[in-house]
Amino acid sequence: MADSKYKPAPLATLPSTLNPAKYDLSLETRKAQIERLSIRARLKLEYLLQYNDPKRQMHIEDAALIHWAYARSTNIYPNFRPTPKNSLLGVVAAFGPLIFWYYVFKTDRDRKENLIQEGKLDRTFKLSY
Amino acid sequence: MLKIIIPSLMLLPLTWLSSNKNVWINVTAHSFLINTLAMATLWQMNETGMGLSQTFYIDPLSSSLIMLVIWLLPLMLLASQNHIKKETDYNKKLYISMLIILQTLLIPTFSANELMLFYILFEATLIPTLVIITRWGNQTERLSAGLYFLFYTLVGSIPLLIALISINSSLGSLNTLLLTLSNYMLNQSWSNHILWLACMMAFMIKMPLYGVHLWLPKAHVEAPIAGSMILAAILLKLGGYGMMRLSVILDPLTKSMAYPFIMLSLWGMIMTSSICLRQTDLKSLIAYSSVSHMALVIAAIMIQTPWSFMGASALMIAHGLTSSLLFCLANTNYERIHSRTMIMARGLQTAFPLMALFWFLGSLTNLALPPSINLIGELLISISLFSWSNFTILLVGTNILITALYSLYMLITTQRGTLTPHMINLQPSHTRELTLMMLHITPLSLLMINPKFIMGNTL
Repeated sequence: MADSKYKPAPLATLPSTLNPAKYDLSLETRKAQIERLSIRARLKLEYLLQYNDPKRQMHIEDAALIHWAYARSTNIYPNFRPTPKNSLLGVVAAFGPLIFWYYVFKTDRDRKENLIQEGKLDRTFKLSY
Repeated sequence: MLKIIIPSLMLLPLTWLSSNKNVWINVTAHSFLINTLAMATLWQMNETGMGLSQTFYIDPLSSSLIMLVIWLLPLMLLASQNHIKKETDYNKKLYISMLIILQTLLIPTFSANELMLFYILFEATLIPTLVIITRWGNQTERLSAGLYFLFYTLVGSIPLLIALISINSSLGSLNTLLLTLSNYMLNQSWSNHILWLACMMAFMIKMPLYGVHLWLPKAHVEAPIAGSMILAAILLKLGGYGMMRLSVILDPLTKSMAYPFIMLSLWGMIMTSSICLRQTDLKSLIAYSSVSHMALVIAAIMIQTPWSFMGASALMIAHGLTSSLLFCLANTNYERIHSRTMIMARGLQTAFPLMALFWFLGSLTNLALPPSINLIGELLISISLFSWSNFTILLVGTNILITALYSLYMLITTQRGTLTPHMINLQPSHTRELTLMMLHITPLSLLMINPKFIMGNTL
């Protein structure tokens, strides 16, 4: 139906099946969709060939998974280029919290120490520390 | 003490002279027998500890750690049987010898009476570990992992050597018992600050502290299973043990010098726990969780209160057993699919129900579930940190939350959900593997009942 009651919301986008513009796509988007679908179909065919092979003894090796795991773990630094912005960000993120928490704890403990030395802190029940 | 060290040393001729089909069972059985001898050291009757000789001294802090070392050797042997079986017999015996040498060096390390002897053995344990990581690791990155491991530790420990020599020349002796009685007060001066840093940095790097922790994920991930077990369970605790021993001579400077390290520990705890949530590599996740737990121990040792030392000792033992258990579980995964990627083998609860029980118990103890000893350690440390300064509860509480998150994330990703459909080569759990897990869980469970053995010497 052209006039669906479903309205998209910020966290719930319109699914493609309810989008009446699904069938009015331009030629380029259609070509891109066909290309993606053909890659998917080829990969699925390879997977199914291996999955249903009666002589298969081990699990199916997914090259994409291996590349993804490698990229996430070992291949980050070679693709990193230090720029002023991300160097500054690194220094702020690395040392900023440390300095912040140092001042929080130092002021808190100095305040407590001053209270103790003035005798104003009630430590009657402080048995275990 | 010799009745523990000489049998451990004699395990070496046992490996080399046993016939090839009896090597594993001989060494494993005899190392279990050494355990029965060593359990006698747990019987600590008074607060002065057991002064066994002029060189060896076991107090309640050392006894639990020595027990952990000796308990772990048969477990390491059980864990290594599978991945070593394809090597030549000579290599198998060499591997077992490395593990035995490591244990023989670690037992005197924890019971050394002199700090200089402790230092020499501390350094000596690096060599077998380096050999295990670089020779028997699985990926090519093991070479850089070994380098990182060796040089990070050495950079910290050369200043420690110089500091120990200078303290020896000024005090006359480095006997741990005499040092507690000496009046060596460190005043506020630049050279004393450098002395404090020199003493502590080696152990901070070993623990590891958050800023210098980079060697740990590499070393843990690239090491074979026995290497990971001994690294996570014992070698990290060498740092904690050394810090506890040296802190008697480093007062009162510790009150001001400790701040940067407490900050690094508290913030680093949260940072490394958060990184665990984003890990794809299972062993890397467990390695970062080790950093997070040890940061709690560093913070506890830095604030030097009785409860914090109790919590630190308890957490060291509890974490040693839990981390070793998790590494063994990850290794059972690795031996079947030859990959450490977590999402590759999912839904394992359907395939291995009994192993799923051990995954479950391991994850629960990792997130410090009551009444496990991990909780006792973390709780004592949290309470003592809270009395140090009230705001630490924000950081420690956040860390407890994130620890629970990543432990459950690891459990759910590997165990729950549907089994990966194309995994048809999953061999059932070997009895050896289940025995290994059971031997990890048994001390963890039994110590819940009587945790005073692991609470250290301020109990």
